[in-house]
Amino acid sequence: MNADMSLGSVIRSEWIKFRTVRSTLTGVFVMFILTIGLGALIAWATRSHWQTVSTADQVTFDPVSTSLIGIVFSQFAIGVIGSLLITSEYASGLIRTTLGAVPKRLMLVSGKLVVLIASMFVVTEVACFAAFFVGQSIFSGVVPTASLSSTSVVRAVIFAGLYLTILAVVSFSLGLIVRHSAATIGIFVTIVLILPLISLAIPESWRVHIVKFEPSELGNAMTSVVTPSGDLSASRSLLMLVIYAVVVLGAGALLFQRRDA
Amino acid sequence: MIKIEHLTKRYGDTLAVDDLDFEVRPGVITGFLGPNGSGKSTTMRVILGLDHPTKGRATVKGQDYASLRAPLHEVGALLDAKAVHPGRTARNHLRALAASNRIPFARVDEVLGFTGIDSVANKKVGNFSLGMSQRLGIAGALLGDPEVLLFDEPVNGLDPEGIRWIRDFFRSLANEGRTVFVSSHLMSEMAVTADQIIVIGRGKLITQGSIDSLTATAKGSVFVRASDHEKLISVLKTHGGDVSEANDEALSVSDLTSDQIGQIAFDADVVLFELTPQRASLEDVFMELTADSVEYGSSGARNER
Repeated sequence: MNADMSLGSVIRSEWIKFRTVRSTLTGVFVMFILTIGLGALIAWATRSHWQTVSTADQVTFDPVSTSLIGIVFSQFAIGVIGSLLITSEYASGLIRTTLGAVPKRLMLVSGKLVVLIASMFVVTEVACFAAFFVGQSIFSGVVPTASLSSTSVVRAVIFAGLYLTILAVVSFSLGLIVRHSAATIGIFVTIVLILPLISLAIPESWRVHIVKFEPSELGNAMTSVVTPSGDLSASRSLLMLVIYAVVVLGAGALLFQRRDA
Repeated sequence: MIKIEHLTKRYGDTLAVDDLDFEVRPGVITGFLGPNGSGKSTTMRVILGLDHPTKGRATVKGQDYASLRAPLHEVGALLDAKAVHPGRTARNHLRALAASNRIPFARVDEVLGFTGIDSVANKKVGNFSLGMSQRLGIAGALLGDPEVLLFDEPVNGLDPEGIRWIRDFFRSLANEGRTVFVSSHLMSEMAVTADQIIVIGRGKLITQGSIDSLTATAKGSVFVRASDHEKLISVLKTHGGDVSEANDEALSVSDLTSDQIGQIAFDADVVLFELTPQRASLEDVFMELTADSVEYGSSGARNER
């Protein structure tokens, strides 16, 4: 027993913590159900009403983003997982035990981030590809379908998983700042759900300049094969979302480093 | 070895710790005493790097806690037994802690056995009693076989058998040459547990020393029953005695020795039925020392004992 604490050992510790509480497993399960299940439901509804869809809408129809529509709902499960990674430690007081074992706070934040990003990337990509295939098989024969032979289709599906993974980081970072589960999740929901509603009240001429920067609209652009009108391109949307995450994470890590635990 | 140097900690307007300065040595059990709210827990949190000092510093083996390369191998601490995720099992909780400092899982099973909670190792800690949680906290503190151990109010919630166990356990740790630092607001507990005592009140150091030297400085009192209390009280007072009624039939006299009281009574023709010197208990010493610094003292507290 003569080895030092390191980022590797902290990651291992955080991975044990992450997978040994039920909330993580429940969150991942809900994420799968919402991403694949709701995606399938909406794909089926689209197929059964295809004949009533106008020709104009049929031309602009995107079978990829439609099959990935479930992420609009599963992002909340992701938000809960990201938040609880840190706020559950404050709720129980475990954070003080954790910091007793790992007093280097930025190393602790890094360890948690590695575990969160790696695990969320894997499960969300699996869920998004599954939702894509399920959606295309439902569309098949009636509605136009997409295949992974096109790089922009592959990009849209991969970006869907990235969108969810980055939102997990945003939620975790908010948790570092707020240190309270319910408040963190409330702010998260406000950002991804309430913000777009508020912007509906803004005059149209201003709105076009604002909406494209909203996280949910960035997600829409990232998962579409053809960039929707008025939106940033998919890669710019990804970059914008990463910048948001880095800013919130930076603020959270700085406060975590400075504040009393 | 723990060293506190001119430590001051302020939370907003509240001065929790005020220029505290002391050392905790290895090989003995050091009791850290003070009324509730006197700054004991704050001091311990600063030692562990959880709270940042406003002024001064706290070091363990000459280093800031945060710069220790493998903290659990150097320092074991139990601040709050309930500071665990309620949904995680005891074994998984300890495994996560062990992994962070590269401690093998075999050691987790060892400390589970040593603290007597191996039978509930796979149960969620949310269902643990306070006593079981204390044992889990102690198991966590022992994981890295550290030389310095800190315990904040460790006997809280333990049954008499558990208290006995923890006392013997502290003794064996100190006998192995380790530094054992234990806080309590109960003087009676420290009297039978600790060798050295550090007393604080309102964040300030009040006194420190061995248990024996502390009781020696305290003024004792003499329990007296006599034929004529009214007469005796007046003559004792003229000789500088501090007299109070111990109960309906007896007096408690301080500032005079039993020899002096006997002589004074004889000169005043008062018959003594009983004359018993009473050594101040450590509890009395504690109450006397901290009387001015109890944050929420009840006015009658000194007479209720």
